[in-house]
Amino acid sequence: MAASTRSQVISLYRTMLRESSKFPSYNYRTYAIRRVRDAFRANRKVEDPKAVARLMEEGRQAVSLIQRQVSIGKMYETQKIVVE
Amino acid sequence: MAARVLQQCVRSLARPSLRLCSGTLAVRAVAARTAAPHRPLSFAADSRRTRWLVQSQISSVGVSCRQYGDLPPLSLETIKDRVMYVLKLYDKINPEKLQTSSHFMKDLGLDSLDQVEIIMAMEDEFGFEIPDAEAEKLMTPAEIVQYIADKKDVYE
Repeated sequence: MAASTRSQVISLYRTMLRESSKFPSYNYRTYAIRRVRDAFRANRKVEDPKAVARLMEEGRQAVSLIQRQVSIGKMYETQKIVVE
Repeated sequence: MAARVLQQCVRSLARPSLRLCSGTLAVRAVAARTAAPHRPLSFAADSRRTRWLVQSQISSVGVSCRQYGDLPPLSLETIKDRVMYVLKLYDKINPEKLQTSSHFMKDLGLDSLDQVEIIMAMEDEFGFEIPDAEAEKLMTPAEIVQYIADKKDVYE
C-alpha cells in the first residue's frame, strides 16, 4: 500500500510539473511550477494515510484545474514578454 | 566586340558548371586561353569573373557545411558533457561533489522529488520523454548517459 502510494505521489508530481510547464504565459508558468514544487516539499513529511489521500485528491483536482487554465491561456495568448 | 561575344559565351558555359568545384578549374583554363589574345580589351571583365568564381567557390563550401538546424551527431562524450552540465546547473547539487558514478540520493543527498526534477530537466535538454517506469531507475549520471545513448542509438 505504502509503496504504491509513494509511486502514485511521484507520478502525480511529474504530471503536475509537466502540465504546469505548458502554460503559454511566462508568469503563470513559473508560478505554477514553483507552487507545485513548494507544495510537495511542504507536505513531504506527511505520514498519515488519510492526510495523504486527502492531499492526493487535492492534487488531482489541481491537475485538472491546471489543464483547464492552460487551454484557456492558449485561447488568449498574448505577446511574449521581455524575460522570455 | 568579337572578344566580348566570346566572353559571354564562355560565361554562359561556366554558369551551370559553377556548382561543381572540379569543373571550374577547367573552365577557367579555357577562359584564360580564350582571353589571352584579347587581353587589353577584356582585362576588367576577366578580373571580375575570377572574383566571381572565387566567391562562388567560397559559398559552395559554406553550403556543404550548413546543417539546417540539425545538431552535430551525438557521441557518448557529448551526451556525458550535456548531462553533467545540466546537473551542475541544478541548484541543490554541489558541483564539486558531482561524479559520473555518484548516486543522487546516497551521495548527493537528494530526495525522490529532486530526482523527478532532474529527469524532467534531461527530457527538456534532449527533447524526448522518459517514461515513469524507467525514470525511477535512473539514479546516477552514468545511468542517465547510458539510457540516453540507448534511446538515441549511440554506441561508440
